[in-house]
Amino acid sequence: MNVITRRAVRTAISCLAVGAIAVTLAAPALASHVLAHVTVPDKMTVGETVAVAVDLRAGDRTPLPGTTVIFYLHVSFGGVAGEAEIGRAVTDETGVANLAYRPRLAGRHELRMEYVASDDGAVEVISTAFDVTGGEQLYRSAAGVDVPGVDAGLVMATLATVWSILFLVTLRLVAIARAGGASATPGLDQTR
Amino acid sequence: MPKEEILRSFYVPKLCNLCEHSPCSQVCPVGATFSTPEGTVLIDQERCIGCRICMAACPYDRRFFNWGNAPIPPEALLADYSAEHQIPAKKGTVMKCDFCPDMARAGTLPYCAQGCPNGAIYYGDLEEDIATNGTALVSVSRFLSENDAYRLKDDLGTKPRVFYIPGHGEAVGRDAFTPDRQPTEWPWMERAEGAATWKR
Amino acid sequence: MEALNDWERRLEETALAPIRRTGPRFWAVVAFLLAVIGWGAYAYSVQLRDGLVVTGMRDRISWGLYIATFVFFIGISHAGTLISAILRVSQARWRTPVTRMAEFVTVVALVCGASYVIIDLGRPDRLLHVVAYGRWQSPIVWDVLAITTYLTGSITYLFVPMIPDLALFRDRLGGRTSRWRGWLYRTLAIGWNGNAAQRRSLASAIGVLMILIIPIAVSVHTVVSWIFAMTMRVPWDSALFGAFFVAGAIFSGIAILIVVMAILRRAYHLEEYLTEKHFVYLGLLLATFAAIMIYANISEFMTHGYKLREGVEFHFRQLFLAEFAPLFWFYLLGGLIAPIVIALLPATRNVRGFVAAAALVTVAMWIERYFIVVTGLRVPLMPYEPASYAPTWVEWSLLAAGLALFALLITVFTKVFPIIAVWEVAEDHEATVAGSGTVQPAPETPKLAGEVG
Repeated sequence: MNVITRRAVRTAISCLAVGAIAVTLAAPALASHVLAHVTVPDKMTVGETVAVAVDLRAGDRTPLPGTTVIFYLHVSFGGVAGEAEIGRAVTDETGVANLAYRPRLAGRHELRMEYVASDDGAVEVISTAFDVTGGEQLYRSAAGVDVPGVDAGLVMATLATVWSILFLVTLRLVAIARAGGASATPGLDQTR
Repeated sequence: MPKEEILRSFYVPKLCNLCEHSPCSQVCPVGATFSTPEGTVLIDQERCIGCRICMAACPYDRRFFNWGNAPIPPEALLADYSAEHQIPAKKGTVMKCDFCPDMARAGTLPYCAQGCPNGAIYYGDLEEDIATNGTALVSVSRFLSENDAYRLKDDLGTKPRVFYIPGHGEAVGRDAFTPDRQPTEWPWMERAEGAATWKR
Repeated sequence: MEALNDWERRLEETALAPIRRTGPRFWAVVAFLLAVIGWGAYAYSVQLRDGLVVTGMRDRISWGLYIATFVFFIGISHAGTLISAILRVSQARWRTPVTRMAEFVTVVALVCGASYVIIDLGRPDRLLHVVAYGRWQSPIVWDVLAITTYLTGSITYLFVPMIPDLALFRDRLGGRTSRWRGWLYRTLAIGWNGNAAQRRSLASAIGVLMILIIPIAVSVHTVVSWIFAMTMRVPWDSALFGAFFVAGAIFSGIAILIVVMAILRRAYHLEEYLTEKHFVYLGLLLATFAAIMIYANISEFMTHGYKLREGVEFHFRQLFLAEFAPLFWFYLLGGLIAPIVIALLPATRNVRGFVAAAALVTVAMWIERYFIVVTGLRVPLMPYEPASYAPTWVEWSLLAAGLALFALLITVFTKVFPIIAVWEVAEDHEATVAGSGTVQPAPETPKLAGEVG
């Protein structure tokens, strides 16, 4: 073995040694990696409230309680596309965070969940996509006032009554005109 | 209210409150003011006779009248007639904020929401439960309940669909009555350079 | 009987006199009124050209002098209802010389009042939209329907009792007057010659009309008040508005009637028929309605003032103490208290006293309509500074023109139609004379124009 080979082997052994130390140090971090699993129902329709469940478990499969999970829905409206926060939930003692979600729009939606799991405060993300069917209109505005009975019919009935009475009076006038043919009766003068 | 009693003042934009049970459409003799299925209350400039009973009836006093010949920009004269935009303004008819339905049709935000430098105006859809101010998107129901949103003159029963969110102690002081107040430094001055322009 | 015939002859001559003779004073008055109306027409043309910006109205106070004058004229039109209809129903004999004038005033006031709504419109060229696209739920449409019905009813109610008098004119003026007049009387008298069948028809027509016109008139001013009361403005949000406005209408109707009576009595020498008794009776009615108005005002102000909801304090301050105080106190003292005082004091309980009271009431009621409209709109609905309103020359010109039109139409009416209900006055006189004598009273049938003289 010449000198170059001996030096290369020494470098290689030191690298391996460093690598072994690095792996040893890294092992606890790899061991605390959070396993997140999100469950979304198969069929979602507009207007129906469903539960979106996020299951957080530590690397050793123990549940992670007390972690806040923030849910973001990817939406676009008015030319602006992005994410809107639709809710927050905290994992319970079984490590599951449940959000009651009521889809408002049909189509394919993407949901992204953020949580701070490990002690170093890093935000971790998990996302899922689902389809929503249905197109029922949820928000109905009841414009206008509706008082039963007080409607156009009442006004028209009142008007019809009054105008028909006026018409009857006109008929009296026609009667006067037609009776103009008869001669004047000797009336009051004689009674005086 | 006497000036001494005012603790804090803030600006309230003067827009139509989009009542679900609007007094203006109820009293109009010719149906020039009407509710659309989308939920906006619009004015038909061709139908309005200018009697101004809607102006007397609006409990928020948010309607205005074209008393004379309004100055009309030349491009407005070329616009087709539609009840969804109130240009060109016709003398002798009533106008109000109509939430720019023509902009919504084009998929953009109303001019006020686009223009507000503080992003204070959110425009949204109660059906989809989404609103945006041009940069951020929010879920309307959560946004309103978390921020204690209120409506103006709720007790009148007009069921307005414009919600106001009270301030949270922002640092931008608006007390106009302090004698030697310093001019406010607007945080949006730098942002104005890259501001969104009017979209059509 | 000779005395009766003489009396009747004098009555007929007095009724025919305006037609027979027209002096220069008449033409001078007509010329002046036409000049005022012409100036008003010019002012309106300016308004049509430039828009309503020439008025003092702006976005905060969007109704002003025009709507106030509209309500005022519609109010005046209730003169006919009270005198002609209510007094006829209650068979008050003293009403007979007054009924015709009251009916004139009603018709003319309605015409003038309706024109003010049209003047106030921003787009009068689209007036027919109310007919084509009218909505039943709107107070303005109720207003249009009620006023149209009342105008038709009033014209009918003016015309029907006038038929025997028109027949009198036809018979007495034939050949001695212009051709169009002769044609007019012949046509309008519809062949009246006083036979029994005609008398029956006339009596039944008048009977139906006098009862029908009362609810129509009440509904007219009620719906006019609902144009204000159906909004959420603080001073207008009152359930009392309907009754309040009807009472005010009858009140101002009596007042204008007294004024018109006084003028026509002087101009056409009607002193024998429009005696002091008529003025005193109408004046007492005026005082009664002044008391009713005081009561209504107290109710209104007490119920609002006790609670002092938002806006009411501002309204009370502007009305009682600040900007509108002079107008309000003139209305209260001159329009409501003064007639009562004048009626109570024996020294003023005469023609002059009551004519003065009536003039005060007329002006005070216009002022009341004005401050109801303007103060109602002035109470701020949102936290902004209250606006102010001052009518411009266009509005004052059109007010003057409307009053001139009112005066002109009545003046012209007196030259064409009989200003006294001759047959009714005659029959009332007959009944009074017969009642005081030994002969049994003549039956109450219409006087026969064809057989006298």
